[in-house]
Amino acid sequence: MKKKKGPNKNMYGWLFISAAFILYLIFTIYPAIESLRLSFMTFDQGEYIFVGIDNFKRMIGDKIFWKSLSNTFIFLILQVPLMLILALLISTLLNSKKLKFKGFFRTSIFLPCVTSLVAYSILFKMMFSLDGVVNKVLVSTGIFEVPYQWLQNGFWAKIVIVIAMTWRWTGYNVIFYLSALQNVPAETYEAAAIDGAGGFQIFKKITIPQLKPIVLLTTIMSTIGTLQLFDETMNITGGGPANATMTISHYIYNQSFVYAPNFGYSSALSYVVVFIMIILAIIQFAVAGKED
Amino acid sequence: MKRKVSAILLTLAMVISLTAGCANKSNDISTNASEESGDKKITVWAWDDKFNVAVMEEAAKFYKDIDPDAQIEVVSLSKEDVYVKLQTALAGDGSGLPDIVLLEDYVSGKYLNTFGSRFADLTNEIDYSNFLDFKTEAVTKDGKVYAVPFDTGATALYYRIDLIEQAGYTEGDMKDLTWSEFIQIGKDVTEKTGVQMIVEIANNKTTLVRSMMQSAGMWYFDENGDISIKDNESLKESFRIIKEMKDAGILYEVESTENRAAALNNGTVASVVNAPWFVSALRGAEDQSGLWRATTIPRMEKISESINASNVGGSSWYVLEKSDVKEDAINFLKEIYDGNLDFYKNILNNQGAICAYLPAFELEEFEQGDEFFGGQQVNKLFAETLPKVQAVYYGGYVSEANDAITTALSGVFDGSLTIDEALEEAQNQLANQLGK
Repeated sequence: MKKKKGPNKNMYGWLFISAAFILYLIFTIYPAIESLRLSFMTFDQGEYIFVGIDNFKRMIGDKIFWKSLSNTFIFLILQVPLMLILALLISTLLNSKKLKFKGFFRTSIFLPCVTSLVAYSILFKMMFSLDGVVNKVLVSTGIFEVPYQWLQNGFWAKIVIVIAMTWRWTGYNVIFYLSALQNVPAETYEAAAIDGAGGFQIFKKITIPQLKPIVLLTTIMSTIGTLQLFDETMNITGGGPANATMTISHYIYNQSFVYAPNFGYSSALSYVVVFIMIILAIIQFAVAGKED
Repeated sequence: MKRKVSAILLTLAMVISLTAGCANKSNDISTNASEESGDKKITVWAWDDKFNVAVMEEAAKFYKDIDPDAQIEVVSLSKEDVYVKLQTALAGDGSGLPDIVLLEDYVSGKYLNTFGSRFADLTNEIDYSNFLDFKTEAVTKDGKVYAVPFDTGATALYYRIDLIEQAGYTEGDMKDLTWSEFIQIGKDVTEKTGVQMIVEIANNKTTLVRSMMQSAGMWYFDENGDISIKDNESLKESFRIIKEMKDAGILYEVESTENRAAALNNGTVASVVNAPWFVSALRGAEDQSGLWRATTIPRMEKISESINASNVGGSSWYVLEKSDVKEDAINFLKEIYDGNLDFYKNILNNQGAICAYLPAFELEEFEQGDEFFGGQQVNKLFAETLPKVQAVYYGGYVSEANDAITTALSGVFDGSLTIDEALEEAQNQLANQLGK
């Protein structure tokens, strides 16, 4: 009896995951392979022609590609550390036993994450527009004499995007850190406190090392998320001014759907992004692994 | 037991929601294969419920009298979705395409260059002598006409007469201006009323550029489709004029189309250059009724070809070559858009559609005054402007050129580039991008 149950159970397992797995094959694996094929082709007069590595060669001379790549990295370098440090601090505060109204604060921090990407982007665009609330406050308090065109200056447009993304995504990371903090035994903290460690020392010597796997996870996730940045720049700045906030995903979208359709070139661009992500993930694992 | 029941219920709910999702999908994007044989179902993709979609539904009503069997389904999508879906389906095997699709004339070249054989050749189906030349030319490739011209972007200068009068000018002063005269009036208006003269969208400053260029019969590309930016005198002059307006403090830059409408509706700005459909945005401010006037756009005095008439945007109807009901779709467009004056009368009255169909300009509705414009015959202004508009070859890369020009103009605005440098850079960037 018992022997029979084994393979039977196994079969049920396969059956249960089959639906999800078939969908995964159709909607993830197949497009990934197909776009790899496409990246070596170009669309000409209604037909795909094999062009070898021409698409990749073309990128070398494509100034907007390099501009969008460097923009993406600027966002990455500015935004990910800022957001993760904030998330760490907030989660430690929220985890504190002395804190009252925990539920309220936790909900408030997480709330931005449930807003739609487009909706919150439009909100930020409105806030930083010429007659938006930011300018109104600055002018009425006398800090500025006339409203400033935030989104018309390459530097400030980038800053607005960073602020927007930080607002939207910090809470998301806080949840990861909070759940990890719950697993840190209270005894460790007590022991440290008895040994006379201060708040900052505890944070540095206990909290951060204990959270290391989660920090690594959130770093990789945020890196991938930033490399795929699209909704925010599309809706807040439209990639402008003068491509100052054009991201690589946004450029891929333009190449596919706004400009004369060039799915071959877009696929090639996408594979470059995949390649960059793999390299970054390897670096992050290596850096995190070394300190162990 | 309870567990089992709830598990079954959950599974059922999942299955139902999955299949319901599928069902919705097939309703949304009905394929061109008629599901019931013998049923002539024509699917149309268009955007803007209040304008294009409403016009097409009106057309469907008229066609019911001619062919009672025909079923016309107008699918309303966003403009971006129409392009994304069309582009994806055309690049693939073509399943899920509609029978008729609306495309802007600016993207016409893009689709005809890349997918020319996928659209039906209508050259011998429609009598194009009934349509405005520049509209027909915009949808022609290699001597073949691929679309039925629909609405036009006859450019007008809309302005607030009360503010102009406060600055000491009259309605008569605003007719057939040059841009220098316009700038002078603008300075006076801004000085005396504190209201900035003209509005433009900052991230996409090309409405003014495009209308100025076409007023001189020039474009980003020459008639062979080669890039013509660096040595394009009309483009240079348009940059100079826009920069002068900016330096004079009469240009108000907004972030988006919504902000532009708001700036006009709440009286932050005194004028705007745009197409006939823009009237509906102005009408958003009911309290300004009677304060608006429309006139011809200014011309560039330094460019001899420049006239007080131009065009921005406008779109046309295309039939898909592989449609199962291609003949019916063509017949539908022919019967209604190339011949039915009652239809044109209705859409002029209800949607304010200024179309490319010449016989419709004889309609007496064009003589009617418009209360919002203080009784001015606005439609007549469009009807008089349109025959003068010079045809240009838009080419297949208008979006790319718009982006390059926006970037160039940003450089000129912040002072980091001279006009010549900016245009040269735009030309190089575009050439690189297009591989030319």
